Amino acid sequence: MTPATKSAASTTATSLTPLGVPLGRRVLDAGPVLALVLMVVVFSVISGRFLTVPNAGSIANQASILLVLAVGSTFVILLGGIDLSIEGVMATSSLVTVLLAHNDRNGLDLGYFAVLVGAAVGAVFGLVNGLLHTRMRIPSFMVTLGTGAIGIGIATVLFGGQPPRLLDDGLRAWGTERVAGFPRLLLIAVLVLALGYLIQRLTRIGRYILVIGGDEQIAKLSGVSVPRYKMYAFVLSGTASGLAGAMASTQLGVGDVQVGSGQMFATITAVVVGGTALTGGRGGVLQTLIGVLLISVLANGLILVGVNPSIQRSVQGVVIVLAIAATAWTQRHRLRVIK
Amino acid sequence: MTEPGPLAGASAGPVLELRGVTKRFPGVVALDDVSIRVAPHEVVGLIGENGAGKSTVLKILSGVYQPDEGVLLMRGEPVRFRGPRDAARAGIGIVHQEQSLVGSVSVAENLLLGVEGRSVRGGFYRWSELNARAERQLAKIGSKISPTARVNSLTFAQRQMIEVVKAISVEDHAHAEPVVVFDEPTSVLAGEDLETLFGQIERLRSRASVIFVSHRLDEVLRVSDRVYVLKDGRCVAEREPGSVDTKELYRLMVGRASSGQYYREEEQGTFDNTVDDAEEVLGADGLTLRGRFSDVSFSVRRGEVLGIAGVVGSGREDLCRAIFGAEPVDGGELRVGGKRVRFRVPADAVRAGVGYIPAERRFEGVAMGMSVAENILLADSSATSVGPFAVPRRRAALVKEWIDRLRIRTPDSGTDVASLSGGNQQKVVLAKWMSSPKLRVLVLDHPTRGLDVGAKEDVYRFVREMCAQGLAIVLLSDTLEETIGLSHRVLVMRDGQVAARFDAAPGAKPTQVDLVEQMV
Amino acid sequence: MSTAQVSEGSESTAPASQVPAAPAAPRLSRRLIAVIPTAVLVLLVLLVASQRPSFLGPTSLRTLLEGAAPLLLLALGQTFVILTGGIDLSQAVLASFGTVLLALWLPIGGPAGALAVLVALTLAGTLNGLVCAYAQIPSFVVTLGTMGLWAGVALAVSGSSTISITKGYDTIFWLRDLRVAGLPVSAVLAIGAVVVSAVLMKVLSRGRSLHAMGLAERAVQMSGTRTFRMRVLAFSLSGLCAGLAAMVLAASQFSGAPALADSLQLPSIAAVVVGGTLITGGIGGPLRTLVGALLVVVLRVGMSVAGVPPSYEQIVYGTVIVAAVALTLDRRRMDIVK
Repeated sequence: MTPATKSAASTTATSLTPLGVPLGRRVLDAGPVLALVLMVVVFSVISGRFLTVPNAGSIANQASILLVLAVGSTFVILLGGIDLSIEGVMATSSLVTVLLAHNDRNGLDLGYFAVLVGAAVGAVFGLVNGLLHTRMRIPSFMVTLGTGAIGIGIATVLFGGQPPRLLDDGLRAWGTERVAGFPRLLLIAVLVLALGYLIQRLTRIGRYILVIGGDEQIAKLSGVSVPRYKMYAFVLSGTASGLAGAMASTQLGVGDVQVGSGQMFATITAVVVGGTALTGGRGGVLQTLIGVLLISVLANGLILVGVNPSIQRSVQGVVIVLAIAATAWTQRHRLRVIK
Repeated sequence: MTEPGPLAGASAGPVLELRGVTKRFPGVVALDDVSIRVAPHEVVGLIGENGAGKSTVLKILSGVYQPDEGVLLMRGEPVRFRGPRDAARAGIGIVHQEQSLVGSVSVAENLLLGVEGRSVRGGFYRWSELNARAERQLAKIGSKISPTARVNSLTFAQRQMIEVVKAISVEDHAHAEPVVVFDEPTSVLAGEDLETLFGQIERLRSRASVIFVSHRLDEVLRVSDRVYVLKDGRCVAEREPGSVDTKELYRLMVGRASSGQYYREEEQGTFDNTVDDAEEVLGADGLTLRGRFSDVSFSVRRGEVLGIAGVVGSGREDLCRAIFGAEPVDGGELRVGGKRVRFRVPADAVRAGVGYIPAERRFEGVAMGMSVAENILLADSSATSVGPFAVPRRRAALVKEWIDRLRIRTPDSGTDVASLSGGNQQKVVLAKWMSSPKLRVLVLDHPTRGLDVGAKEDVYRFVREMCAQGLAIVLLSDTLEETIGLSHRVLVMRDGQVAARFDAAPGAKPTQVDLVEQMV
Repeated sequence: MSTAQVSEGSESTAPASQVPAAPAAPRLSRRLIAVIPTAVLVLLVLLVASQRPSFLGPTSLRTLLEGAAPLLLLALGQTFVILTGGIDLSQAVLASFGTVLLALWLPIGGPAGALAVLVALTLAGTLNGLVCAYAQIPSFVVTLGTMGLWAGVALAVSGSSTISITKGYDTIFWLRDLRVAGLPVSAVLAIGAVVVSAVLMKVLSRGRSLHAMGLAERAVQMSGTRTFRMRVLAFSLSGLCAGLAAMVLAASQFSGAPALADSLQLPSIAAVVVGGTLITGGIGGPLRTLVGALLVVVLRVGMSVAGVPPSYEQIVYGTVIVAAVALTLDRRRMDIVK
């Protein structure tokens, strides 16, 4: 065996966690982590209020919903697709959740079950996205653009002109109360993160999604049912969006069509910046965590520094383009056709 | 895991056989009555030029194509593969030229993709079991690569090793000794890695049969017990390495009865006098593109055809694309009409009067989905425009003129070019360039590939016509015969550099062996 | 056409791209796609008119066309981009930003201010095109990003509020108040832009370049077309159209607001697709988009006539887009769909 092979074998990590899950050579790319550290340092220098517990709680508040959304989207992006229906799904799920729980519009009072239904609504959206994409071969951005609009539409119909208020104290508590300075919703976010990681590392769904994103043709020829696993990815993303919509409702106390406003942007930025490539096959849930932290810290820091919050969206937009440009830069060729 | 013992006796029949296999595509016969036999534990080499039919044989073996005539037999039983999985199940494992591994997951996952079986229970991966299975497979060739390594992190040679393991693993499912097919494995390997590969093949003998496909003759000779030579879709020879040398193999590979008439050499003769005194139309000095070609210099005069010969990897294709601006140039000088030029995109080259007939006709030559007329007018519509405006009548006339002149068979000038035959599509591409008054240089990249004899003759006729009009032609051809027959001068490239130059006046043409000697 | 026509020189047996795919025909043939939208439009008009005869009256038609003008302008700009195979998600946001700029600059500069806004928006479109072409990133990513960029800037510059236009309004009043042959100038402008575009595409020597890029970009590159410039041009035109739409909107609303035109993005894409321009590009054009825009607008009227509450609009647009794309997609050309 050549020396090259030997050295490669010795540098590849063969360490196994107690679960028997291989860690791989570099779980987290250095870039985003360094950027995060740098950002934290810079902001704490600029503003004394940055590195405080209340502020950390504030960051966590913002990050919780974003994390849930981003973990779901990661699976679709790992495939090489994209889910633009996030805000629409959140809207519908928010209305559904509030209208099923104890509210000021009707007499229903399904409590936690309402949240479950909200997530289920998201799953249904995901199913529809997946079906349209795999059966009709419509590009994912087109499908989810359409279904997102449908989601906003359904929510608008349910909305009926005035936001239904959430009166269920138990649910409201989840959205507003804190534990040791950190929002309760963070618990859910962390749970979703852990679940996402397990799916990605341990289950066939997670592994096959990575395979399909890496090389769809090879997957198909090896007998992998590509449409089925693509569906799973969209259902995961939809469910996450549904859950996030319910979570946002508990935070705001109302069901609102605008509940997801701006989240689509933030989610895509977070996933991309964390290191998951839009072309698929590279990245993962842990990378997305770093991306979410990056976006949340950036948003928080900019506000502390006094930057107009409207600029958030602008910054995110520029960041998305820069991040993609950076990763795609080496593949440029004078004849390359990119639409 | 199966025991690698020998099959029932050495007197057993061949483990794999193609008998009288023919495969046709519209306009071309890819394989014509080909018969190949592989005995157990034998290493059989398959050689041939580009377009000889090697890849078609491999696609039939891997189940991508089905033969139109003839049979494929495994251990004496006729088999019919409907796809790569059938072939794998029958025990044929292919080590691909373009890697068939998924980079985003681990070695173990790649090796067991689609066949994880009980290592994945209830949707959950049992990593220790999966990794252990993978290690056992890796051990078959003594590889120490870790099953948990992500394929993206491996070197090319390592990934090829995994491909070999994957190919051998078909034995687990076929419950029989596999036939491992190597498809041009050495094109990117060198030195130590090459030796390792040869060692692998030797070790494979005891437990498998091997087919080794390559255009690198000395390697095939080194490793094989028997060699088949393919040419023009036919199996023209079967030899043992001990009884034949590289030169004779090449002769078998490329030798054809040359007919001067075919290339209208008498027409070439008429114009040679004028060519000698003509001015340079296309010239190059020290052209270099890192990793592809270096220090290439040549000069092509009015009415002259410069043929460039070379094997795969010689850099001739990249050179021609660089002349057209489709590839960059790192150093050196390119001249058109005596003036130094620099092409950033093909549009610059077109403006300077350079045209290009690409090898990938369907992708780069004709614009599929557009009409014949639109295609013909694609490169240069200045002759049929007034300022920025098109003149429909002039356009229609020009299109008709060229359809007639090149005898393009199409129901209508508005027909989608995609529905034309290959030969007619190529004529449309020719018309596109020939109809441009600006044209001074035409680069032809495998212009007769996939065309029938009639269409080929037409192309040769047009080349002569263009020379008569004072165009300079650079020709890259599939066959040495064509290169020699059509060219006034021939450049031979090897490993990115100019290895030799030949004059090719009619009556004093170099032989194919002369060229081949420099190509290898 | 046989899909099995193999380029004889391809030597690899790798599974990647060599497996001949079975040809799947598009759901609707090209000829049908050319004709159906107009047929549906006529049908729809007749249907609505049968329920509400006043629909075909001059006042009603005038209001219809007036309302359609900004949508049509945006859809026209989108058409140029979609023809090349891309998409522009930032158009509507740019138009909104344009109204804000108009509100700020008209009082200061009058006609010069208006011109400046047109130039600014065209440049923004050019930026889209340059980034797409130079960095070689998919257009939906770039325009998603610039959509965010300009949305944020619009919010910041406007202070997140509507700005009414009083002082400089006379520069643009004519868009709303003047009539040409009974039609408001804004509608004439929009339809005129469509017709001019269609004529230029037919008459110019390189008028079909955008179509060609959508059909066979590599072949077209290798024939000497400067696809880089064409791509930038398509996006620049999209920006220009957004600027014109901004002027029309500002005139009709007497103000500029940071999200004024945002809700027009989806209908404008719907107008293009439903009119018969393929989402993958290459087939279609401005005239088809005119039909599509009219369809969208008549559909809106039809919904209200049928008693469907306006909140259902989004649902309808979303469904219509997905359905139209599904029907017109040519699956032959797409082996791997992401």
